[in-house]
Amino acid sequence: MLILTRKLGETIRIADDIKITFLEVKGRQLRIGIDAPKHISVHREEVYQMIQKQNILAAEYDSLGDNKLSHIWNRLIQEKEKL
Amino acid sequence: MRLATIRFGEIDIDESKAILFKAGILGFEHLKRYVFLLQDKGILFWWLQSVDDGSVAFVVTNPFVVKPDYKPVIQDNDLELLQVKLPEDIFLMSIVTIRHDPFKVTANLRAPIVINSKNKLAKQIILDRPDYPIQYSIMDNKLILGEEFYREEEMIASALAI
Repeated sequence: MLILTRKLGETIRIADDIKITFLEVKGRQLRIGIDAPKHISVHREEVYQMIQKQNILAAEYDSLGDNKLSHIWNRLIQEKEKL
Repeated sequence: MRLATIRFGEIDIDESKAILFKAGILGFEHLKRYVFLLQDKGILFWWLQSVDDGSVAFVVTNPFVVKPDYKPVIQDNDLELLQVKLPEDIFLMSIVTIRHDPFKVTANLRAPIVINSKNKLAKQIILDRPDYPIQYSIMDNKLILGEEFYREEEMIASALAI
C-alpha cells in the first residue's frame, strides 16, 4: 500500500481524473472530498462488504431442502393475510 | 445445453437466454452468466441460476412489489455500460434472502439487479440511498399484488426466462 502524508486542504490525484481532498479532522473522524467522473462509483467499503455478505447468505438458501418457491411464497401470503 | 444444478437436477437451458453480468454479482464475481427459472405461474419469486456454477442460485423478486414507492436512480454510466436505449427495456430485480421464518424473509433494495432485456446485459448496482435497506423485511411492509405485476411477470418471462 502506498502511504502518503497530506495536510488539510491538500489533494491527491489518482490517474487523470480522480481527486481526493482532505477537508477536516474531527477527533477520530476524517472528512474527505472525492471528485471523480460519473463512471467511477464511490461507496463506503462497509456497504460493499454488507452487500457481498448478503448475496452470499441469499445464495446459501437450499439448506431448507425446499426449492419450491411457491411453498415459500404461499406461506408468506398466508402469514400476510393473518396480519 | 444441459446444466447440472444442485437444486433442480439437470436442466435444459437455452444459452441465448443467458443473462451476462460482466462484473458478476458481488461476492460471486467469477460467475458471469445466469438464467431465470420460473417454477410456477402467479408467484412473484423467481430463481436466478448461475450457468457457470450449478450450485449457485438466487431468489429474486420485483422490488416494486415489495416497495411500491421504490425510486431507484440508475447512473448514466451504468445505463451506458448496459447499452440501454429505451427505459422500458430495463427490468429490475431484488435479491431475496429466504429464511424458514417468513417474517425474516428480506429483499435487498440497496443493491438491485438491473437487466437490459434487449441485449441481456445485467449488473448489480449500489444505489446512493442509505435509506434503502439491504435487508428489507417483506413481511413488515406493504406487499402489493396488483395485476400489473403479474402482467410484467409475463413480459419478463417471455423476454428472459428459459
